Amino acid sequence: MAERAIEVVGLQREFGKGFKAVDGIDLAVAPGEVYGFLGPNGAGKTTTVRMLVTLLRPTGGHALVAGHDVAREPAEVRRRIGVALQEAALDLLMTGRELMELQATLHGIPRKAVAARAADLIERVGLAQAGERRVGTYSGGMRRRLDLAMALIHAPEVLFLDEPTTGLDPTSRTTLWDEVRRLRDEGTTVFLTTQYLEEADQLADRVGIIDHGRIVAEGTPQALKAEVGRPHLDITLAGEGPDAEAAARAVAPYGELCATTPGAHVSLRVADGAAAMAPVVRALDDAGFAVEGIEVVRPTLDDVFAEKTGHRLEGAATAPAAVA
Amino acid sequence: MRAILAPSWALAARTLRNILRRPQFLAPLVLMPTLFLAINTGGLHRTTDLPGFPHVDGFLDFQLAGAITQSLLLGGVMQGIGTALEIEGGFFDRLVAAPIPRVAIVLGRILAGTAIAAAQVVWFLLLGAIFGVSFHGGPLGILLVIAIGALAGTGFAALGVLIALRARNASTVQGIFPLVFVVLFVSSAFFPRALLEAPADWFAEFNPLSYVADGMRDPIISGISVGPVLEGLAAAAGLVAVFVALAVLALRGRLREAR
Amino acid sequence: MTRSLTVIAALVRRALNELTRVPGAALPGVLAPSIFLVGLSGVFGEAARLPGFDATDFRTFIVPVGLLQGAAFTGAATGVNLARDIERGWFDRLMVCPAPRVTILTGVVASAAIRALLPAAFLLCVAFALGVGWPGFGALALDAVLVMGLATAMALYAVLVALKFKTQQAAPLMQTVGFMAVLFTSAYAPLDLLAGWMRAIARVNPVTHVLDGVRQGFVAHVTWADTWPALLAMVGLVAAFGALAVRSMRRVGV
Repeated sequence: MAERAIEVVGLQREFGKGFKAVDGIDLAVAPGEVYGFLGPNGAGKTTTVRMLVTLLRPTGGHALVAGHDVAREPAEVRRRIGVALQEAALDLLMTGRELMELQATLHGIPRKAVAARAADLIERVGLAQAGERRVGTYSGGMRRRLDLAMALIHAPEVLFLDEPTTGLDPTSRTTLWDEVRRLRDEGTTVFLTTQYLEEADQLADRVGIIDHGRIVAEGTPQALKAEVGRPHLDITLAGEGPDAEAAARAVAPYGELCATTPGAHVSLRVADGAAAMAPVVRALDDAGFAVEGIEVVRPTLDDVFAEKTGHRLEGAATAPAAVA
Repeated sequence: MRAILAPSWALAARTLRNILRRPQFLAPLVLMPTLFLAINTGGLHRTTDLPGFPHVDGFLDFQLAGAITQSLLLGGVMQGIGTALEIEGGFFDRLVAAPIPRVAIVLGRILAGTAIAAAQVVWFLLLGAIFGVSFHGGPLGILLVIAIGALAGTGFAALGVLIALRARNASTVQGIFPLVFVVLFVSSAFFPRALLEAPADWFAEFNPLSYVADGMRDPIISGISVGPVLEGLAAAAGLVAVFVALAVLALRGRLREAR
Repeated sequence: MTRSLTVIAALVRRALNELTRVPGAALPGVLAPSIFLVGLSGVFGEAARLPGFDATDFRTFIVPVGLLQGAAFTGAATGVNLARDIERGWFDRLMVCPAPRVTILTGVVASAAIRALLPAAFLLCVAFALGVGWPGFGALALDAVLVMGLATAMALYAVLVALKFKTQQAAPLMQTVGFMAVLFTSAYAPLDLLAGWMRAIARVNPVTHVLDGVRQGFVAHVTWADTWPALLAMVGLVAAFGALAVRSMRRVGV
């Protein structure tokens, strides 16, 4: 196995008239790592993935996947990667089993092993019951699962998932997350793109944040968030027209004040949110303020994104919460 | 009467504007019949030597009317598909809910068909003129050809709307498209009736398309003879009367169902 | 090599699925040549009385046209299917798998050759039922080869169009060109009877040779002199479009 599963240097893709969808990207993914590529629509995630899976030729820079150059040795790369792109690429007229067997044949799996391998993978993604039905009858979640199974048919070293849970219901999303974790435990490298913070946060060992074709930040989710800020306390004062300035002065010794928002809010950056709560509430109480609510707010990757790019991630607030 | 005409013109204008905005949909209407015209003429031009073939300056002169008829039929199919898509897309329901006489909804489409039909006829007449067809009927003959063609085209548009109103979805209407060829094969649109083989000649006798095509052909290849021209006008007018009436009835039927 | 054949067979099987699983879809393509045979001979039948047709009746004369039209339409349909696969993302799967591009291309167009036999067989049944003379097994075997060859050439052309435009809206471009290729030939009359401009086009059009090759068994006898130009034209078309299509497949994503 190569030292690095994916190695990208100065990768660039220009479309006509000088538009650079991907404008000089460097990244490296270690074998067995889950790398999350996070960014809003149009940031260049899909274009990057398409270059890494040899569907698109880079116009600048180079990329090595599983030890082979995507531009010079595409066939070698294709032998070692599995791909599940944004739209589940399936033939609706075939049954799940037929499609898996076709995929197996396309990947050069010896004829005698085709049926068994197909059956194995269908079982693994929980579609054994539906295997004989036409794919046209599958639900969206089932189609994604089949799509994933197809990507795994030849036990690839590196798996590419482009927005794997977009449009899925929470249960299907959790199922897919579990599968990704299982794959990582088995040693497969996973490169996934997403626009959902939670997905990057929960699944990825390391996250690369991309905006307008460039990587603006990279690191483990915890490191990135720590870089941006410590947790802060969001205090809502009770009563009619409380004097937020005075309240702010009262709690100032316990942390770092963020700009006081007009009205009845005070935000205070603290080293340890939970531990700081009690003294802060006591201080406000002593100063004669009633507290309506107090919340520990931890920085999110969205905050990281906002810090690095000056705007928020699209869809950050709208990802449905995954079922725990 | 004015209450019906005004919204009908407005809807017709809308249909025409939409079509002009996407001219690639016009192409099959004239392109395919033009190709057929070229192929038939290039391949079969010597048939004018056959005994029984009416006197013509060239095979193209004879074929032109057939190409026009084919093009007009395809225009009708296109109006039908357009109507069916509108129904599927929901715009039709919006029209029904509007404070206009219901009849205007179908009349709008049909009138647009008239305008397009006239344009189609002019295209082929120009084509003919460029390739050496001489119009024996002179300017009056040309006007008669346009008149018969526009009338027939109106009738076909009405037929298209009728089918769309009765059909369940747009693909059914699209399936009608090949029938255009079938129904023309059993007419004298492309070849003199006297020279058709049995049983095509028998069908051609009763096929209104034969009279429409012959009515347009006559002013081109000979002077204006009362017989064929009147028959052509009558056939075209008959098509209009029958299909517009049926289309209006179909509209009423559909609206009654929806209630 | 066996691996390539397995891949090709698997792709052909997938393409043939559509015939069996969406029964209505194939029907228009199968029926159309027969409808045209009956219709055109009903209308233009008397044309065969012209000297030059050598006592062949018109219907017999145009049977080969129907056979090749079926082939052309089948080839175009292959391209439309590929365009649909491109739109749906399935084509990406094919491009990402390790099978060589030539193998994938072969798999995509091989089904056209087989499918073209369907409208051809139907047309022949209708033709014989209507009294067209039996051309002999040798002629029919040759015709099968030429039909399959033209279908393959058309499919390769249609694949080129599909790869260029990547949308099913390019379908008319595929169908119309196939249509014209078969009809701007000695389709409705022998070369000598064609109008001057038409004769010039027909002489240059390689499909004319293919058409004459198919026609020989029906109007006379199969002779080598009339066969080798047909085979050469067919092989030439397949080779030319094949080379362009392979190049196009290899440049996907560049």
